[in-house]
Amino acid sequence: MSVRERLGGAAIFLAAVLVVGALVHFIVILLIPVVATRDAFARLEDLGPADATIALARPSPTERRFPYADPALASAFCRFDLAAGPVRVKAAVGRAGFASLSFHTRRGAVFYALTDKAATHGVMEAIVVTPSQLRALVARDDEDNPSQDLRVVSTTTEGFVLMRAFSELPSLYAAAEAQAKSLSCAPEPAPK
Amino acid sequence: MFVKASVACAIGLALGLWTSRAILANGGPFGVVAIGAWNVSAKAGSLEADPYTRAGLERSGEIPLALGEGLQLVARVDDAGRPLDARCAYRVGSRTPAARYWTLSLVDRDGFPIENAAGRYGFRSSEILRDADGGFSIFVSASAHAGNWLPIGAPSPFALVLRLYDSPLSATAGGIEKSAAPSIAREGCA
Repeated sequence: MSVRERLGGAAIFLAAVLVVGALVHFIVILLIPVVATRDAFARLEDLGPADATIALARPSPTERRFPYADPALASAFCRFDLAAGPVRVKAAVGRAGFASLSFHTRRGAVFYALTDKAATHGVMEAIVVTPSQLRALVARDDEDNPSQDLRVVSTTTEGFVLMRAFSELPSLYAAAEAQAKSLSCAPEPAPK
Repeated sequence: MFVKASVACAIGLALGLWTSRAILANGGPFGVVAIGAWNVSAKAGSLEADPYTRAGLERSGEIPLALGEGLQLVARVDDAGRPLDARCAYRVGSRTPAARYWTLSLVDRDGFPIENAAGRYGFRSSEILRDADGGFSIFVSASAHAGNWLPIGAPSPFALVLRLYDSPLSATAGGIEKSAAPSIAREGCA
């Protein structure tokens, strides 16, 4: 075998390795969201049923469920399932500190968020709907007396809402926890 | 020939798995904006997150901050680009980008607080001691320090996480000036 043939063989071998490697890489990256069984939604599912408001434990070295969570924030969540109808989400806003609601798809991506600055009369409120429920609601709307609801469209039937409440001082953490627990998720009848 | 092809496939498989793991451990190559020593995953809190960002979030179980809530900056290196080392002491300060509140906390490689005797995992903007001019210094070190001391609990790799709540910069991570992000200066090593 000549030197040239040997080099050619090595080049083909290297190219084959790179092609297989790149293929495996992209398949893995694209498959993870499909096969991930320990994503945020699955972790929340372990903690309780849909529509119930469940407080999350304060992040600590022993509480290793949700990484990169802020120990200065108290949080609570509820999972929603829009199959039977829209879900009305409400949360009270405290006097001090930052509070927010974030709306997540089944896959964990955020599709909407609002903060206490958007609260009216001390309450953050929204109604989570599917695209078809939104169409039904809009068709039923009274033009002279428009609905005051903030309608948030979810691209997935299942998902979750997370309430975050900031504590300005360590001693105010209990108050922030109480505020986070003011989150409520109530199923509403499907619009006809 | 067959043996050679099998070996090529095996090495390719290992390479593909290794690069996936390595890239996800670093947060993915896309949509990450660097501001000094800090990294922001600009689209993590939106539906437009790229496949790498999504895969990383799903694997870790992290619930990202929405763009409208705030911004999370993570630093794994100091100002000079050296990895944060538990044997060294750092001074973080003295300003942050505009935000209603911010918090600075210390986490391990996986994003969880590290056990320490003081039981302190982070500081809030509303509780820190400030200089006369409104600036601040947070001292990150294993041994106790006067002022705002953020303890490094264990001799392992760590990261600093800065969260800006209700920041006007939320929607445009690219709009943060490098000078607005707090510096991470290494003060000495044991």
